[in-house]
Order: sequence, then C-alpha cells, then structure tokens
Amino acid sequence: MIAPGRRRAIAGAILVYVTLILTLQIFLVSVAAEGFLAGEPALAWSATALSAGLAGVAALFYRFLRDE
Amino acid sequence: MTDDPIWRRDFPYTAEGEEEVTRREFARYLVLASGAFAGGSGLVSLWASLRRVNTGAPTPVVELSAVAVGGSHLFGYPTDDDPAILVRVDEDLLLAFSQKCTHLGCVVFWSPAERQFECPCHEGFFSLDGRPIAGPPERPLTRIDVEVRDGMVWALGAGAHGEAT
Repeated sequence: MIAPGRRRAIAGAILVYVTLILTLQIFLVSVAAEGFLAGEPALAWSATALSAGLAGVAALFYRFLRDE
Repeated sequence: MTDDPIWRRDFPYTAEGEEEVTRREFARYLVLASGAFAGGSGLVSLWASLRRVNTGAPTPVVELSAVAVGGSHLFGYPTDDDPAILVRVDEDLLLAFSQKCTHLGCVVFWSPAERQFECPCHEGFFSLDGRPIAGPPERPLTRIDVEVRDGMVWALGAGAHGEAT
C-alpha cells in the first residue's frame, strides 16, 4: 500500500517524465521534417522509430499511473 | 456534511482526489499528444519515402552549341514552373541543377568568375557540384542529370538533393 503523499510524488514524477518525452517528440517531428526536406527518408524513419518508442514508454508510464 | 455547499455534494471530491484525477487526466492528454507526434512523424516519413523528388521525363533543353564554355542556360525542369540552370563547365562537362536555393527557395545564379552558384537573397554559395560552401544553406542543390544526344542537351531526370546519378 502506497501512502497518499508518496502516490502524489510518483504521479508528479511520471508527469515530469511524460512532459520530457513530449518535448523530445516535438524535436523528433522537426527531425523527420528535416529528413523530408533533405530527401532523406532514412533520417525521417529513424526519427519516427525513436518517436514511436518514446510514445510507447509514455503509454507505459500512463498505464502505471492509472493502475497504481 | 450538511455544512458543505451544494457544489460539494454534487461533486464530492476531496482536494487530494481532485489533484490526482487532474494529474492523471493531464498525463493522459500528454500521452495522447505524444502518440499524435509519433503518428505525425510516421506520416512525414511515409511521405518522404513515397514522393519522387523533382523527377521528370527526358526533355530536350538546348542545343549544345548555344551554350558557351563557362556559360550557363536557364530552363524549366521537370516543368516550366521549376527553374533550373545548365552550366557548361568545359567542352565536355555539363552540369545542371534546380535553381531553387535549399535555404528559402530563392533562385540561384551561376557566377563564371568564381565558378560557383550564388544565392543573392541571403548570400548563400554553392560549389560547382552543388554543395553548400558558405552562407545559410545546409543542403546541396538538387542535381539534374543531363546528356548530349546529337548535339542537343537533354535533361534526363533529377535525384534527391545533390545526388549525382
């Protein structure tokens, strides 16, 4: 059983992580756009793969937060 | 509980509960936004993979004899709305590029004295092979393949930026 105060701290920490992930996602979209403009699909796909991975991590964080 | 305001009875959440719900909801929106960004990146990547960069059908450009050695000729490729430039570097070497500067799309021109392409808008400079050498541009000019057939210069298609095919 997690104490309410600790639960709030965990929720806040997860929120910070998810916010950081979202910031990285914005950067990765710009990288994908750069790959598009440069005619380098490999760069865009690399950014997409990383972006999808981060979205998965964010979803896991949210699931933990929801179930916790 | 009878002293509680009506809104408290209607919305019986404690302050702690409200905070947790708010955080979870906020986290949910952030996760959804994160997924949306990933999806957007995927669409951009798909578009980058499927589009054909400035390709075009073989098209006659100009008689070779009409272009002096060291001189240039302007034409449209793959359509008349796409400015391109042909440079006759020496007797046998012809190079052609899209005229659109890879910085902000201004039209570049050939400088015979400096043997380089120059973009007057923001002072961008490209080498003979289209690679950026100074100024704000970071990507090379889009190369257009050319070939001489029976004294006529033909544009055969273009690759990605700077791709020599």
